[in-house]
Amino acid sequence: MARMSEAPTPDSGTVERFRALMLPHLDAAYGFARWLTRDPVTAQDLAQEAMLRALRYFHAFRGEEARPWLLRIVRNTWVDQRARTGTDQPLEVVENQPADGPDPEQSALAGDRRRQVAAALAALPADMREILVLREIQDLPYKQIAAVLDLPIGTVMSRLARARERMAAELRGRLGRREHGLPDL
Amino acid sequence: MDCPTCEAMVDAYVDGELTATESADFERALTVCPECRKRLDTARQIGGLLRDLPAEPAPDLLRARIERELRGIAGRTPVARRSERMRWMAMAASLIVAVGIGWAGGTLTGRGTSDTDALVASYLRVAMAEHPVDIASSDHHTVKPWYAGRLSYSPPVHDLTSTGFPLLGGRLDVIDGRKVAVLVYRRNQHKLALSLWPAGPAAPNTEPVVKEHDGFSMAEWRHGGFEWRAVSDVSPAEMQSFTTALNRAVDTDH
Repeated sequence: MARMSEAPTPDSGTVERFRALMLPHLDAAYGFARWLTRDPVTAQDLAQEAMLRALRYFHAFRGEEARPWLLRIVRNTWVDQRARTGTDQPLEVVENQPADGPDPEQSALAGDRRRQVAAALAALPADMREILVLREIQDLPYKQIAAVLDLPIGTVMSRLARARERMAAELRGRLGRREHGLPDL
Repeated sequence: MDCPTCEAMVDAYVDGELTATESADFERALTVCPECRKRLDTARQIGGLLRDLPAEPAPDLLRARIERELRGIAGRTPVARRSERMRWMAMAASLIVAVGIGWAGGTLTGRGTSDTDALVASYLRVAMAEHPVDIASSDHHTVKPWYAGRLSYSPPVHDLTSTGFPLLGGRLDVIDGRKVAVLVYRRNQHKLALSLWPAGPAAPNTEPVVKEHDGFSMAEWRHGGFEWRAVSDVSPAEMQSFTTALNRAVDTDH
């Protein structure tokens, strides 16, 4: 990516194109930020900074897929923010948060299971967490994951395998084996 | 195909990244490899569980902040740009707590989602406005008299600078058709809006209930004869300390 100072100032036409192409992916950007930071307030700050950075770099957007392009900026912004502040959000904060979203038709058990799945994902190391979110929640193919994380495809594949193994172990620790029915590895 | 080969293909198979030929080879290998069968089931199950997590959409405040930035960037001339940016950063560097001091006759019971939405909307008017307060002052001797003649009651006004929530001023809002006083406070990089109205002289105090709603922290409680509702984009923990600081100030006053 170009340095910020080299980026041309966006004019109103650029802002309009940005609005049309990138704003539809704000939910995805925030959702990714939410899992990276594991905190709703920090996630908003991250998503906002990433959107503004994306606008500054928008002149370099060449009409590829918009969502992975934006997610890459979210991820790079997060890496920069972490380098600035030094630490991650402590995990207790995440664990204590109430269950996400309304699920009227779901039983309390299903709600509890979702909470445990969310807690297990949040407990993963950042490199495993981000790759699982990109694959399973953002539903990106390997090629786009490789672009977002700046990794060779082979590394994407092996890291995903490790992340799934670790996630399975986390889940076994949180849910009884009988209840979730995860087979042994 | 030996097991290490088929093991290495499990993830790519689940993720639909194999060619048709590779997939067919893998499926054949799977029939004689129970270990890889288990790996495959696990990977599929984890995918199912993660995809089942509810998606959290971007909060309205975030959308509003970004819209505001985009409008600012699209509309400004090169000369205006610097001051616009500085102003935004200055605003982002302050948390404004807006306390709405509300209407007579409001009750704690029967307040539902529409009130929550009305409070959030009231907060957004504070957070997004060019001039978030009608009367800008950290002096309660200035703010309190301003409400005289504008409301049917006299709201208690406290500056909480010493506990990290400086008073920025006050404003009027209409929530649910009722005229409400809103006090605006500032905390670090955020704003906080607090609405309050008389609860009746005999109403007992209640503990503040802090919850999250659409990425906002909201607090709801009764203290010193007033109903209090605070909304902000601070963390729930900071909201909790705001309610403690305010209660203490109210008690000292009595």
